[in-house]
Amino acid sequence: MDLEELLLVESSCTDEEIVDLRALDYVSGYNTHLMCPICHCALIRPVRLQCDHVFCQRCLSSAVTSSSSGTNDFTCPTCRTPTQTVYTDVPRLLTNMCDDLRVKCPFLREGCTEIMARGHVESHVDKYCGYKLLDCPSKTCDKKTRKKDLDSDLKCVHELLQCSHCEEEVMEQDYEDHLNKNCLRFKTMCPHCQVMTLQKDLRKHIDACPDAIHSCTASKYGCPVKIKRADITVHEQACPLIAMGPYFETQNSRLNSLELTMRHLQQRNEIFEDGFANIRSTLVDASRATSGQANIEISAEGQTESSDSQEVSNDGSQSSNPTTYLLSLHESLREEVGQLSHAITDLDARASMAIMNECLRIKEDMAHTNAAVNSMRMQVQWLMNPRLHQGERTSSVRTNDTNDSRTGQLGSSTASATSASPIPGPSNTSRPGLRPRRLSDSAREGTKL
Amino acid sequence: MFAGKRLSKELAKMQGHLPPGITFAKSDNLEEWQMDIRVLDDNPLYQNQIYRLKFTFSQKYPIEPPEVQFILLPSTTETPRPIPIHPHIYSNGIICLDLLSTAGWSPVQTVESVCMSIQSMLTANTRDERPPGDSDFVSYNKRRPRDINFQYDDDNV
Repeated sequence: MDLEELLLVESSCTDEEIVDLRALDYVSGYNTHLMCPICHCALIRPVRLQCDHVFCQRCLSSAVTSSSSGTNDFTCPTCRTPTQTVYTDVPRLLTNMCDDLRVKCPFLREGCTEIMARGHVESHVDKYCGYKLLDCPSKTCDKKTRKKDLDSDLKCVHELLQCSHCEEEVMEQDYEDHLNKNCLRFKTMCPHCQVMTLQKDLRKHIDACPDAIHSCTASKYGCPVKIKRADITVHEQACPLIAMGPYFETQNSRLNSLELTMRHLQQRNEIFEDGFANIRSTLVDASRATSGQANIEISAEGQTESSDSQEVSNDGSQSSNPTTYLLSLHESLREEVGQLSHAITDLDARASMAIMNECLRIKEDMAHTNAAVNSMRMQVQWLMNPRLHQGERTSSVRTNDTNDSRTGQLGSSTASATSASPIPGPSNTSRPGLRPRRLSDSAREGTKL
Repeated sequence: MFAGKRLSKELAKMQGHLPPGITFAKSDNLEEWQMDIRVLDDNPLYQNQIYRLKFTFSQKYPIEPPEVQFILLPSTTETPRPIPIHPHIYSNGIICLDLLSTAGWSPVQTVESVCMSIQSMLTANTRDERPPGDSDFVSYNKRRPRDINFQYDDDNV
């Protein structure tokens, strides 16, 4: 048949099922080849596709309905081969093996403990199972009744009755069960004082029973006494271990705190040992690399080391007391580092002092040089000035000659020329006798500085 | 009912035996499971990392695909679980894999087979990148993974 027919067949037969085989509890495991790859149950009404993959009829039809591509290009869920036809002629071997699996009756919860082949479940439930749930014959009641409890005159058995012994309300169908098993009316004997009590009160009674055997409260400290509750107070007043109780308590707490600190110290110790191991391994490597010479050096440097550890350092890795040796080595190295850092700070201070001094000196020199340069410049200017002046005068004479001007005009023109000149020093050309000496004086002062 | 039965069967089977690199992280109900997966070979992209997959099952499982995505547990927690880098895995953990879409799903798939598919998808990857448009997708996507129309255009990875 094709896929459409499969869907039709499936939709028509879903309601007829007496037992949902998929919900059954299988007693024994089954081979995965008997398992539908979709529902992972043993195959139920198996069908086969062209590609020989087998599925439950219902699983396949739900896969077909949900597949997005529809029935036209449905592909096998396992191998994705396009498929249109479904075959129901699955080998009988397969159906037989599936039907032969042992299952529990679906009404196990109601009390049916029967185990049977899966093929027989339907008939068992249909005809024989006394625990099958049926609708209550009363029209007004919507509860279910076990088949075996069903009254012959079709009366509802769900009315609540009150137990005559324990005053609990119980349904009629459960009444007998209740009387035999669950009812609390039964009296039991207290195991200690042989008094009969109601079952529900037993626990309360035992908690208060004067004859119940109790152990002394100091039992944790070793008191072996176990006597009746009534006598225990007498014992406790005399028990030496109870008197010791508080002392034990304080000792215990002290022990605990000591253990805690011990643990902390152990942890720290472990960390240190790890560190030492690391140092040792690096040292051993280094000493191997630099041979015995380095060892001798190290022992020579570490003056504080004992003779024993010097020996150790001489024979390198074969140390009898590595920790002492390493400790002393570590000490000497630390000292050396201290000295080095001291020397470095010393050097640093010295260097900065020297730099400061040098800077000051250079600054002074610079000032001197500046002054000297200034005086030089002024001298040059002064030297240059008469020459310029002369040049000007000759030119002005030349112009005077050409323009027929007077000497009075010449004086004014020189005055204007000197006032216009930017350098003030050698401008005093009207007093040439005085200026040079003053200049040379200032220059001499500069060199003195 | 159907889904629950099938899932408890899968659970029972997987508790007996799990493929290497796949472990249960959480399977206390039949609606959501979490699985830890690990890449087995020495792919440098995923070395020494464990990733957490979240499976959400609908009532119609296995007829409908479960919703599968990676979830992020911050590195400050006891069990840090990052989102693996992969050109088909967005940084919010959504996986673009046609096996997980309604079209590519087949009811014969199991949690185990899905885990193994994703594991091999990671194993085969060599590209240290997120899908194109990752940041846009992550900030704008409000849909559930199954409603997204992925384009399964890249068959290389």
